[in-house]
Amino acid sequence: MTTRRDFLKVTGGAVAGALVPRGASAAPKAMSVVRESSFIKPFDDYFSKTLLPEYEKLTGIKMSYEATSVGGMLTRLTTIAETKSGPEIAMTGLNQALLFDNSLVDVTDVANGIGKQLGGWHENVLEVVVSKGKWKALPWGNIGQLEVYRTDWFKEVGVTKFPETWEDLLAAGRLLKKKGHPFGFELGHGFGDNHGWLYPLFWSYGGREVDRDGKTVVIDSAETAKALDFCRKFYQETMFEDVLGWTDVNNNKAFFGEQISCTNNASSILVVGKRDFPEIAKVTDHALNPAGPKGRFHVMNAVSHALLTHAPDQAAAKAFLKWLYDDKQLSRWLTSADAYYAPFLHGYDDHPMWKPEPRYLPYKESLKTTRPHTWPGPQGPAASESVAKYVLVDMFAKACRGDATKDVIATAAAQLKQIYKAK
Amino acid sequence: MVGGRDFFARLRRLYLPLAVFVVLGLFPFYWMLITSIKPNRELYSQKIMPLVVHQPTLKHYVDLLTETNFLTWTYNTMLVAVVTTVISVVLGTMIAYPLARLRFPGAAVVAIGVAATYLVPQPLLFIPMADIINRLELGNTLTAVMLTYPTLLIPFSAWLLMGYFKSVPRELEEAARIDGASRWQAMTRIVLPLCTPGLLSAGIFAFTLAQNEFLYALIFLAKSEVRTVPIGVVTELIRGDVFYWGQLMAGALLGSIPVAIIYSFFVDYYVAGLTAGAVKS
Repeated sequence: MTTRRDFLKVTGGAVAGALVPRGASAAPKAMSVVRESSFIKPFDDYFSKTLLPEYEKLTGIKMSYEATSVGGMLTRLTTIAETKSGPEIAMTGLNQALLFDNSLVDVTDVANGIGKQLGGWHENVLEVVVSKGKWKALPWGNIGQLEVYRTDWFKEVGVTKFPETWEDLLAAGRLLKKKGHPFGFELGHGFGDNHGWLYPLFWSYGGREVDRDGKTVVIDSAETAKALDFCRKFYQETMFEDVLGWTDVNNNKAFFGEQISCTNNASSILVVGKRDFPEIAKVTDHALNPAGPKGRFHVMNAVSHALLTHAPDQAAAKAFLKWLYDDKQLSRWLTSADAYYAPFLHGYDDHPMWKPEPRYLPYKESLKTTRPHTWPGPQGPAASESVAKYVLVDMFAKACRGDATKDVIATAAAQLKQIYKAK
Repeated sequence: MVGGRDFFARLRRLYLPLAVFVVLGLFPFYWMLITSIKPNRELYSQKIMPLVVHQPTLKHYVDLLTETNFLTWTYNTMLVAVVTTVISVVLGTMIAYPLARLRFPGAAVVAIGVAATYLVPQPLLFIPMADIINRLELGNTLTAVMLTYPTLLIPFSAWLLMGYFKSVPRELEEAARIDGASRWQAMTRIVLPLCTPGLLSAGIFAFTLAQNEFLYALIFLAKSEVRTVPIGVVTELIRGDVFYWGQLMAGALLGSIPVAIIYSFFVDYYVAGLTAGAVKS
């Protein structure tokens, strides 16, 4: 007869056996890649239905693709890195390659090879993928945030070329609002369209959150005050009032609802417009962010592939990345994305992907003046905390709703000192 | 009696307040319905009355059913919800009964432990859970969520049922024991039938929570063919800053129908179960 002790021995043994980690020495029969689902569905489809089968045929390795939900990539990446299991190759966005650098393989050799083949990398992207001199991810492109505007309404008020400076845009906005065509720039807690214009505005007036050392909070400055004072005016005199509560969805909706004449967004508005609102698409165009007294800036959203250290055969995973980033594959893949991703490779500056739709060209042009969030501060966990807590967005939003400039700066400075553990 | 003899008094005191609740209760369903049958052009337009549909279309339903794995997601969701509900209610009953009816050392500590387990937030648990699931090689299988959902649902069911079991007079069970029933018979033939509303209530709650769960499903179900509805629609119908509102609302409406049907059948038991333990018997 089986006793209780026997039962526990048998079941305990079975569970313990199952909990033993899998061996990590076998050559891969399969590999998988995880990415956040792309806004451009054909881009995902081309990868999973064309490129991966090609690689399978070439090597015999079974390749699989996993798309995670928008906003879910960080959770997925955290789980993969912490449990050291799951897909060997994962997408990183923003500064994630530096947040998880201990779990990522050094891919400097692959990056150098790609750079050599494709005209070299744009220097500014190194800030978000290179940790202690080692490449931790391979960028395939930038999702730019630019000015998206209605050419017909701008013409109505006599503006035939998009304004070059923030002051000129303010002047145009005043006229447009009077005509019933206000601007709509997000000031709420979305995930991209708020930082997409506020960091560039802030930087273009000379404002900085923290110094390059990551220890000195420098937000309390005359430059920050000037940026805030301008933004308050810009909000009050040009905008649709609801923007204080907007997220990233609202400006797209308001643009197609013909409520706003200008916003800051990725090219998704024009892409959807061409599909569902052709009349609006005809009169939609893109422009670089306006310049301020200290220059012109754009915010960086580099998307990359990283190789996880738990990969059973890192050489095989690197070989796949080398193959994917070879011009023969990368070129076709980027073309399928309808210029949504601007590659950080100089060899693609004149790529045919830019030819079919000249209205996307400013996204390529913007790469030169693109900086990561919280620049020039270091791209570590503190930078992510500042972005996640909307320190900059809230500072501007509070100023726009009428709070005193010095008060909102003091609040932001206190938050940043806590985040960066600065005095 | 609510209202009065006078029709207008009844209208004022009963039907009008009732109408307000009915409108508020049904409005989300109405909004889902009209959004799911509006063409995109109408969805975004600010120039037309949003509460009526001018040019209805079934395109969003067709796209949802043909371009995504919505039917598979629905099947997965139902399967996971039913299995986890059964596991949770059975095991929850087995925890709740002794804690509520038997006297043994440490019962109070165990009862507090059950409540505390329920209060541990998921974000603290998902990494260790993922580690266990990966070591058991259950990633991308429905078994992964069938095993992890009960970790939330069993403490919840036990906690709800403890209050219910306590409300059944002990004398009924003692009378059964005097008549020769064993402890098991007293539980299954006397206490559990009296607690049917509580069991149904725990079951409906567990079913709804399992159907709506997001975080574990996001972590454990990475492939489209094993996803549940909440993860499937968010992954495939929200792309960047563009929401496919028509298909999302069609999915939400279709997904809410099974729960609405279950609720309508068991609503009386459910309400009785919710108020169990609220007043001293």
